[in-house]
Amino acid sequence: MKRILILLAALLLCLGAAAQNGKSIYQKYSDAEHVSAVYISPAMFRLIGRIPDLETREGNVNLTPVIRSLTGMYILNSENPDINGSLRSEVERFIRSGKYELLMEAKDDGEAVRMYTVGSEQIINGFVMLAARADEVTFICLDGQMPREQFETLVAEQMSDGEPSA
Amino acid sequence: MKTLEEIELLSLEELEQQAVQAAPPAPEDLQRRLRATLAAEKVLAGQTAPARPRPARWIPYTALAAAACAGVLLALPGRGPRDSFDDPYLAYAEVEKAFQTISEKLSGGMEIAREAGTAATLPTEILNKTLSK
Repeated sequence: MKRILILLAALLLCLGAAAQNGKSIYQKYSDAEHVSAVYISPAMFRLIGRIPDLETREGNVNLTPVIRSLTGMYILNSENPDINGSLRSEVERFIRSGKYELLMEAKDDGEAVRMYTVGSEQIINGFVMLAARADEVTFICLDGQMPREQFETLVAEQMSDGEPSA
Repeated sequence: MKTLEEIELLSLEELEQQAVQAAPPAPEDLQRRLRATLAAEKVLAGQTAPARPRPARWIPYTALAAAACAGVLLALPGRGPRDSFDDPYLAYAEVEKAFQTISEKLSGGMEIAREAGTAATLPTEILNKTLSK
């Protein structure tokens, strides 16, 4: 009997822990009103990685090396004041429980942006960006095995690239 | 005391009589002790185990059912979110857009840091000029 109860408790703990991640947050809020949501699966990332001419696109930063290492991307952009607070607090809880490290925090003109990564010095296993304003919350979560140097170079290249190319 | 030969000559009835006559006297309180022992045995047999709080019977079954449900839920295919794009080119464009958003936010942060750095160097320069005079 005790064993069963312990097993059940362990199972519930596991389920509880598993419930708090980018996927669960995405699933919870993606269907809400005034929320735009984008999910790209590992299968789609593999498919993108196999497209040969993406690497030769001119004028754009080549994302292909990083894309090949990604296994999931979740984007939520909420303009729904009823859920903005809970979305924000849930992302913060997920960050705290996931051993994420703060990469950058900037507060400007009423907007607070925080970026977090989890992984080692060489590999990034997860990246989270949370940008919150009074009326809008943006959550970007990337999962994968991204080489840290490659990821940082890519972001730096995008920064120097200037104008958005999409 | 009879000899062995005499004993062999005795009939069964005589032997029985001899045995009854020669039996050692029973202890005085034997009957009472026997009664007490039998009564105690009855009491012990009738006594139930100390009342322990027994868990309800349904708990293990519920636990097993919950575990099975959790297993089924976890194993169910296609429970994850659906891909937002069917076309890899569109998906790529969205990834590109996401990286641009990240970069924009990052460069915004860097800009603030740069401004803060400039603001911090100004008092230092003033101090240096004052000290050099």
